[in-house]
Amino acid sequence: MGQSRRDRLREQLIVDRAKSPASTVALVCARCVAELSVTGAGATVIGKHGQGEPGDKTPERGLVHATNPVSASLEGLQLTVGEGPCLDTFESGGPVLVADLAADGARWPAFTPGALALGAVAVFSFPLQIGVVRLGSLDLYRDVPGPLSRSEVTDALILADMATQGIVADLDGHDTADLSWLLDPHVEVHQAAGMVQVQLGVSTETALLRMRGHAFTHDVPLAEVARQVVARTLRLTEDEGRQ
Amino acid sequence: MSRVFVELADTLVADFDIADFLVLLTERCVELLDVSAAGVILNDPGGDLRLVASSSQRVELLELFAIQVENGPCVECARTGQPVACHDLATDGQRWPRYTAGARECGFRAVQALPMRLRDHTIGALTLLGTEPGALDIDHVRLGQALSDVATIGILQHRTIERGDQVASQLQTALTSRVAIEQARGVLAERGGLSMDEAFTALRGYARANNHRLTVLAVAVVQGTVDLDSVLVGRKA
Repeated sequence: MGQSRRDRLREQLIVDRAKSPASTVALVCARCVAELSVTGAGATVIGKHGQGEPGDKTPERGLVHATNPVSASLEGLQLTVGEGPCLDTFESGGPVLVADLAADGARWPAFTPGALALGAVAVFSFPLQIGVVRLGSLDLYRDVPGPLSRSEVTDALILADMATQGIVADLDGHDTADLSWLLDPHVEVHQAAGMVQVQLGVSTETALLRMRGHAFTHDVPLAEVARQVVARTLRLTEDEGRQ
Repeated sequence: MSRVFVELADTLVADFDIADFLVLLTERCVELLDVSAAGVILNDPGGDLRLVASSSQRVELLELFAIQVENGPCVECARTGQPVACHDLATDGQRWPRYTAGARECGFRAVQALPMRLRDHTIGALTLLGTEPGALDIDHVRLGQALSDVATIGILQHRTIERGDQVASQLQTALTSRVAIEQARGVLAERGGLSMDEAFTALRGYARANNHRLTVLAVAVVQGTVDLDSVLVGRKA
């Protein structure tokens, strides 16, 4: 059941991408509004570093997508007051689901009044995260109270997975057909990212991008690159994986 | 034995770390149930199975393989919510040909998978493995199921099962923790020249000795906010 739902949403997103040049994250936000009982969707994600030198893939934070002005304002509000569901979602690594913001007013004394004034009555945030690598958050709101149903939460988690994959693809420019690596049971990808970050003295997210770069240029699956790194038969060098 | 229930229950209070809790569960199963290894797989909110805890690298490899090939008692148990056992994979393993081949390569002969289930909702499976053929003692099966039930309630954290959103949240949190732990293993393995097994032992040993939550320590290791050499010093190779 879950699998077919994932397939259906994935196919739908492929159709969306064929119709629109917008980023995967923007399309996921729109898809959330279409599929779920929410009024608006927004995401704050990291983006590529400016127009720096070609090899510079250092990620930078703060790129915002939103399906309407209220969602855009909610994203801004959280960054301004330094609290809210999107920040809490990182703390737990799981979704933050608030069916009635007014009833839970003490949780975010600075965020809640501002959000209610904007017209957000229920808020639902999902982390766009790979272990410790925080790529952003997917933030949904509704103008009437009430929880998301179980199947809606499932759909939102699947859409958040797709947004996460889309962000990584946007970061390194490798829009590979291989979108399954994030869900693969290959824990070696994550172990290898930890090893590469020490080898190269870089952040975990940069290590992940270097591994993807190596996989792409050598035309091998990411899982195979990871396996070789963990087996210590492959060691990425300073320049490798950059293009 | 009651000490173990108290210990598991203790971890359910504030500051609960699912990843830590499930690792403890697999270790206690090995100590109490006369099995060689134990692992926990969970159904993720999208319908895929994911490994979240294991007592050794061998069982980790086997469980990952089982998930990948969608075959084996643990997968069947997590999908159906019913216990599945095979007392001797060498003679009765035909039902799961790919799993059986993998299990024997990892050195296992007997397997008992117990559902992690609350009423009609199955969240995963606790798998117990033996290196010798033979059925698990019935008392041990009952105790294993009791531990599995406590773990299930722990994961659902006293929330009512009707709140499906909370279940999804808890499972997602467990999976994020697991990835962070894998990343931390990589950092420690590279820094200390260790195997992934040794890296996990170091991580867990330091967390226990210093009363840190496993996930919190894993994040600190990856982000470099804890002294890696201190974590590596206490390792039992």
